Amino acid sequence: MSEHPFAAGIPAATRLPSERWRIERGIFAVLSVLTLAVVAAGPLVLDTYSVSVLIRSFLYGVIAVTVDILWGYTGILSFGQSVFFGIGAYALGLASTHLDFTSPIALGAFVAGPVVAAAAALLVAWLGFGPRVSPLYISVITLVQAVIFVQLIYTGGDYTGSSSGLSGFDTFDVGMESWFRIAGAGLVIITALAWVFMRSDVGRLLIAIRENEQRCSYCGIGTARVKTLLLVSSAIVTAFAGFAYAAFNDVVAPDLGNFQFGTELLIWVALGGRGTLIGPVIAAVLIDFVSAYLSGSLPFVWQLFIGLLFIVVIVLMPQGLGPALTNGMLRRRAKAVMVAPRLTLLPDPVVGDAARGPVIEITDLSKRYGSLTVLTGVTFGASPGELVSLVGPNGAGKTTLIRCISDGLERTSGTVKIGGKSIGRMSPEGCVRLGLGRKFQAPNVFDALSVADSLRIARAQQEPLSAWRSSDEVRLPAAAMRVVVATGLDQQLGTTVRHLSHGSKQALELAMVLAMEPRVLLLDEPTAGLTKAERAAIGAILVDLVRDHGLCILLIEHDLDFVRDISSRIIVLHQGGIVIDGNVTEVTTSELVRSIYSGEPGAVTP
Amino acid sequence: MTSLFLDIVTTAAILYVVATGLLIVFGVLKIINFAHGSFLTIGGYAALVVTQLGLSPWAGPPLALLAGFVLGAVVEMLIVRPLYNRPLDAILATWGLSIVVVQLITIGFGRGTNFVVSPVKGAVVVLGTEYSLYRLLMIVVALVLGGVLVTIMQGTRLGLVARAVIMNEALAQSLGINSARVRFITFSIGSGLAALAGALITPLLSVDPLMGVPWLLNAFMLVLVSGTSLLSLLLACVVLGGAQVVVSTYGNPVFGALTIVVLAAILLRIRPAGFARV
Amino acid sequence: MTVAAMEIDGLTAGYGEAMVLRDLSLHVGTGEVLAVLGKNGMGKSTLLRTVMGLLPTRRGCIRLLGEDVTGRPPYVHAARAVSYSPQERAIFQDLTVEENLRLGIARGERFLPAFERVGVLFPFLGMRRRQRAGTLSGGEQKMLIMARALMARPQLMLIDEITEGLQPSVVLRLAEILRAQNRREGSAILLIEQNVRFALSLANRYAVLTRGEIAAAGDASAPNVEAKIASMMTV
Repeated sequence: MSEHPFAAGIPAATRLPSERWRIERGIFAVLSVLTLAVVAAGPLVLDTYSVSVLIRSFLYGVIAVTVDILWGYTGILSFGQSVFFGIGAYALGLASTHLDFTSPIALGAFVAGPVVAAAAALLVAWLGFGPRVSPLYISVITLVQAVIFVQLIYTGGDYTGSSSGLSGFDTFDVGMESWFRIAGAGLVIITALAWVFMRSDVGRLLIAIRENEQRCSYCGIGTARVKTLLLVSSAIVTAFAGFAYAAFNDVVAPDLGNFQFGTELLIWVALGGRGTLIGPVIAAVLIDFVSAYLSGSLPFVWQLFIGLLFIVVIVLMPQGLGPALTNGMLRRRAKAVMVAPRLTLLPDPVVGDAARGPVIEITDLSKRYGSLTVLTGVTFGASPGELVSLVGPNGAGKTTLIRCISDGLERTSGTVKIGGKSIGRMSPEGCVRLGLGRKFQAPNVFDALSVADSLRIARAQQEPLSAWRSSDEVRLPAAAMRVVVATGLDQQLGTTVRHLSHGSKQALELAMVLAMEPRVLLLDEPTAGLTKAERAAIGAILVDLVRDHGLCILLIEHDLDFVRDISSRIIVLHQGGIVIDGNVTEVTTSELVRSIYSGEPGAVTP
Repeated sequence: MTSLFLDIVTTAAILYVVATGLLIVFGVLKIINFAHGSFLTIGGYAALVVTQLGLSPWAGPPLALLAGFVLGAVVEMLIVRPLYNRPLDAILATWGLSIVVVQLITIGFGRGTNFVVSPVKGAVVVLGTEYSLYRLLMIVVALVLGGVLVTIMQGTRLGLVARAVIMNEALAQSLGINSARVRFITFSIGSGLAALAGALITPLLSVDPLMGVPWLLNAFMLVLVSGTSLLSLLLACVVLGGAQVVVSTYGNPVFGALTIVVLAAILLRIRPAGFARV
Repeated sequence: MTVAAMEIDGLTAGYGEAMVLRDLSLHVGTGEVLAVLGKNGMGKSTLLRTVMGLLPTRRGCIRLLGEDVTGRPPYVHAARAVSYSPQERAIFQDLTVEENLRLGIARGERFLPAFERVGVLFPFLGMRRRQRAGTLSGGEQKMLIMARALMARPQLMLIDEITEGLQPSVVLRLAEILRAQNRREGSAILLIEQNVRFALSLANRYAVLTRGEIAAAGDASAPNVEAKIASMMTV
């Protein structure tokens, strides 16, 4: 146990992910087989009505899984997941009503439904996941999508059955009991696959996107692409469920794809427990099953009850009923054993073009908001092995400058080149891929993930994440490893980031940025909120990084003592322009700088 | 042609009356009240009750306004206030409330459609065409409502305080404004306005438990496109409402129902600020 | 024993988990002017925001005009005749000059008498009544902030870097106005500043804040104070 200023007395992790998986696999397999057995036996025990209701409930459970992955895990609030269900159902309904129900036709409908659903999902994703689009917008679009679906069905008149829907079309000659087993098995399999997926490294990435999408972008991950892929896959799976529904039920109606059903799905997921998979499945199946029975006697009272329950859960127990009920039981278990991968040191890369000219070049950069000029004519460069501090009074434009360097869309004019390549209008992930690393002023990390998961995601660019495994190893370059060991994070790999101290979170973010092997590191006030000891530790680390690893660091700071101790070069910004750019002695002895800092009004401006 | 023009103007007026309550709640509380449609429905049923009790139809709107205000106050305290920091959850919770209200109304009044007696009947000749008097009246209502709201916002202390909270809540608090109370009053007024709108539109349509949903969706999109300005809302109602009328008349009425929603979605994507600061 | 205008005891506060202020104790006597100086990022603005209740207090206690306001929302503080002039986002850009001033008056007070009183100090306001505050120049906006702070005859004024970006002549005028407010009306003032000369010309006492703690404090009229403080402030 280290006595670091950062470590907080938490015991070391003990179990590798693969060890945990081996243990869980057994339990998991048994549970799956048991559930499948129950599903197989179901029709023998239940009456016909229950069987027919449950088939539908199981299919709804499949949609609930996709909604939970989208919303509970990834944070995408979609009101229109029902639309994909409707598309899959109508694919069969329309094909069978207007064409002969032959094998090729059936196969065609089986494929057409998911394809159309995927296309719709692509359109929604393109509209909703674009850069700088507000997260509310995707919810708006999915709502619109549901409204459009229903109206399109209505417009179709007799062709689509309009408001009464299509019924009585030819379908597969499969008995109800078989449908029960197919739907039940399908639900079990989908849930199992989803469970494995959520446990994998990609599953962790989805949570990271929900927690802090900006941080993911700054790890070089194209979050829009990930979300699009997720939405399209969920659309395909849901469309298959819709197809199965139409095949069994022999009736399709516009309500299958409407806004109300879409929100019902959200209600089931919220009640069952967002981000738990099992919770939403149980909630969907249970509520739908019970509704069917009560719809005869007390239809509105039951709906009323569900509505009230939903409000109560959202306001008082946002994590859902499932977790709220089981938390009581779980608390009795002994403190959970932590799981974390091993840390492995990467061999040093072949030092090729070290110290061969500037790694970042900024030419004539300006930033204007309408008539307000925040930055003007900023020009400087920095090379590997330099630790450049950017200082200046409040409002000088320091953070704006950092933003303009790390996001191609921010600046008004001028060029920024990283490693000789211009960033043009690239998004943050593009700039990161050119070799930029940015550490934010307040710790910008993933509160719900563990330290090891966070580091793993930071390495995602170099080492693709697995969609079904949780890797046993996190390979870190020397610079990142040094920070992790020096600050005691190697003893806290399994700890959830939320429970780390402020200083540890700052250290973790630094380690994550270094894990990306950047050529240029932008640090925004790295000592903010740190104690004296933590500040000294970080200062020593930064100096070592520059000296031993040939990094180039651009540092914004207010703590001028800190700056004086560690910088090789200081640039003073004032009112949007560079006042002086020189070594420590030049700047500290400059009269100009002194007058700027004593706050004398009318000090010379560039 | 005159008939088309009048359709556009009256539709814009009706949309404006419906959406205003949602706008002021969005501006001050920064949330979208998904129960807005159900308050509309409550207002409609208040007017129905007035009809069924045989009272004067003019009593409907004031009764609705009062009912909406009181219920809105209760909802703000129990549901909205705890969700101050969770705007997306506030949308969900108010939608849950909407379901509860619809079910209560269905239990109380049944699922069927009902009709409300209109306080004003018949048609008048305007600009050479005969046109529904009640619809024309809605233009007056919209102007009066808009006028009253603008007067309150620009000319009273309450309005000034509300605008301050909309622009910068922290600064407003530092100047002694009890922003929690402002939110409470705003939500109550917004709900009252929704109910009032419901009572006003029922003579034109009919009353059923689900009448609120299409209005909610349209109002929601209009508000998103307008930002926080009553004037932008008016402009949005005229432009998008007008588009809806044109599509319904010359195209397909089913597509017409989609016009506002689709156009608003496209507009928001191109220009997230919408009509604000046009 | 008169009640102090402001008393802070063992205050620890910050953003999220980052504690910017650590165990800070400070007081401003009735009718006293205290200048709090220090370099950027040392916690001066955080201090005022915490005192005003805009940031939560982790530990410690804040008393304004004798009443414990720790943990209470900001409008309670304003009701205690405390005016707060923040450094950033301090006016409502889209409201007119008059409307901004109206928001400064105390409950129950009438606008016109206060406006006339303040208008004498800042004559340009009278001419710009109906102008949108956002269209004023930077210096004029600062004066608007000061005018608004004076509308309610505050017993305690919390002022955050009001001279930033102002011309020397304007700074002198502001100093005169604040001095008058302090002498004639007896308002206590807590002045956050980087302009050492301006601050010392008004203050009775000073304190230098470094990394959330008081590094130096004393009487503003002591010899060589300005030089001593200036050396602590620069690179």
